[in-house]
Amino acid sequence: MAIQGGEQTILRDPALFYWILFPISIVMILTGILRHYATVLMNSPPKGPSTLPELRERHALLRGVNLRNHAAAVLDRESFEIRKNYLVSGFRNGSFLKDPNNRGQPPANPMTDPAGMEQMMGMLKGNMMMMIPQTLIMSWINAFFSGFVILKLPFPLTIRFKSMLQSGVMTRDLDVKWVSSLSWYFLNLFGLQSVFGFILGSDNSANQMAQQMGMANPAAMMNPMQPGQDPDKLFLSEAENLEVMEHFCILDGVEERVLQNFAPEVN
Amino acid sequence: MGAPINARGINGSDLIATLHLAQQAPGILGQGPTKAKKDTAEEYGQIEQLFLACLRTGDDQSAQACLDRLSQRFGPANEKVMGLRGLYQEATAKDNSALEKCLKEYEKILGENPVNVPILKRRVALLRSLHRSSDAIAALIQLLDAVPTDAEAWCELADLYQSQGLGAQAIFSLEEALLIAPNAWNIHARLGEVLYVSASAPEEIRLASKSVQHFCRGIELCDDYLRGFYGLALASSRLLDMGYETPSDRAMPSKQTVSRLHEFALKRLREMVETRSVDDQHWASSRSELIAAKALLNRFEQKS
Repeated sequence: MAIQGGEQTILRDPALFYWILFPISIVMILTGILRHYATVLMNSPPKGPSTLPELRERHALLRGVNLRNHAAAVLDRESFEIRKNYLVSGFRNGSFLKDPNNRGQPPANPMTDPAGMEQMMGMLKGNMMMMIPQTLIMSWINAFFSGFVILKLPFPLTIRFKSMLQSGVMTRDLDVKWVSSLSWYFLNLFGLQSVFGFILGSDNSANQMAQQMGMANPAAMMNPMQPGQDPDKLFLSEAENLEVMEHFCILDGVEERVLQNFAPEVN
Repeated sequence: MGAPINARGINGSDLIATLHLAQQAPGILGQGPTKAKKDTAEEYGQIEQLFLACLRTGDDQSAQACLDRLSQRFGPANEKVMGLRGLYQEATAKDNSALEKCLKEYEKILGENPVNVPILKRRVALLRSLHRSSDAIAALIQLLDAVPTDAEAWCELADLYQSQGLGAQAIFSLEEALLIAPNAWNIHARLGEVLYVSASAPEEIRLASKSVQHFCRGIELCDDYLRGFYGLALASSRLLDMGYETPSDRAMPSKQTVSRLHEFALKRLREMVETRSVDDQHWASSRSELIAAKALLNRFEQKS
């Protein structure tokens, strides 16, 4: 029976602290670090294109976008029309596609497409890396440490926190300040992010450098298309965008503009 | 030793700064890989810059050290490291046969991985230094067909075309480069120069006026760009020499505007030459440009 208004006291064996609170925290930190390095090891860098036509397929769209955005700053009408016609007909004919013969066919099923498969495997690996250790540790804690009250918070809390702080301890009357071992596990699971940040470096993934060096050669790595997207459709819509484009050129009248802006005294 | 130079800020054609950087090589590299300061992209970008500077100043030993450092970190199979190693081998090649050997090696690498862009580019550069310009152009076109969004490659192609006397193709290539980097005033000025060179026959007045336009745009983007003013002075005077008359098209500039532009360019050039001659040390790297500008001013003064 809870004593209303009074302080609940529970005598705790100090061994609880050394043999439950400590081990759980340390195991959580260690698994976090281990998981980090396992992810780094198993992470395969995104594979670039392997043939020149594949590379071209990725970049052709950007060329159209560039023309659309920047033509006004560079081209006069004549050279703009030439480029526009070239790109539009290229997009329409599918000559920028990786294999023009496959046009119009539905995109390959990601389950059978090896590239898509690889990506799915990557995601699966990442998820597994989270799931497996957590399941193991939780069952370990459940088997060995369930039902212990190991910690008393130094501040009062409302009753709502009971399910968060006292999972595994089925008492109705225990004050919310008391924390059970299973709850301590959950608190660690969600609260150790900043500790990992401190131990492993701020961005928490050691292999970022390798990617950056790859990025230093952005031409090869860039991929404007999402996997599973049909490039042909993107090309057709880009062709439409180009077709409706109105040409103007900021080079028209640049002479007067320069005189006006930079040489007021000559006027 | 002066203050450490920010390696990233070094302009490729600035020989003096390059030399200064190369002289700091022992200091930067001396810490050894164990004491490498930070594992950041800037750090390695700096080592790459140092590598290039050392090669240009003939310090092959330090260049080798830089290369070792990079391949230690990223592995010898990294595309970029492969490109840099190729560059090193080309730079230290004794004779033509050694260069041919490099070329064979590039072809072998490309046989294994045809999309190794740094090696593709090295191959173009190597073909060029072997004086096989048409092969270089063909290789570059092949590269650009796959990667049409590479401004650097388009500029190189323009340069190759221009060296072969193919003005129209060079103009096209530079326009493509500008489509990727529309605010690059130096490419605008370069396009102006190529247009100016192409507009030698009197019937090509259209090219000359385009040249003036591009120089103007370059000046608009960078208002103390000496090369832009130099070009503008030349191009506008040629346009006037060609017998330019005020066209009926309102979009085209009037004859009076062109002659005013000419005066404006000469005036700014004169100012620039004066101020930069005083502050000589600061402009040391562009001294040759300054001398050329002076010569141009003298020529126009004699003419008038």
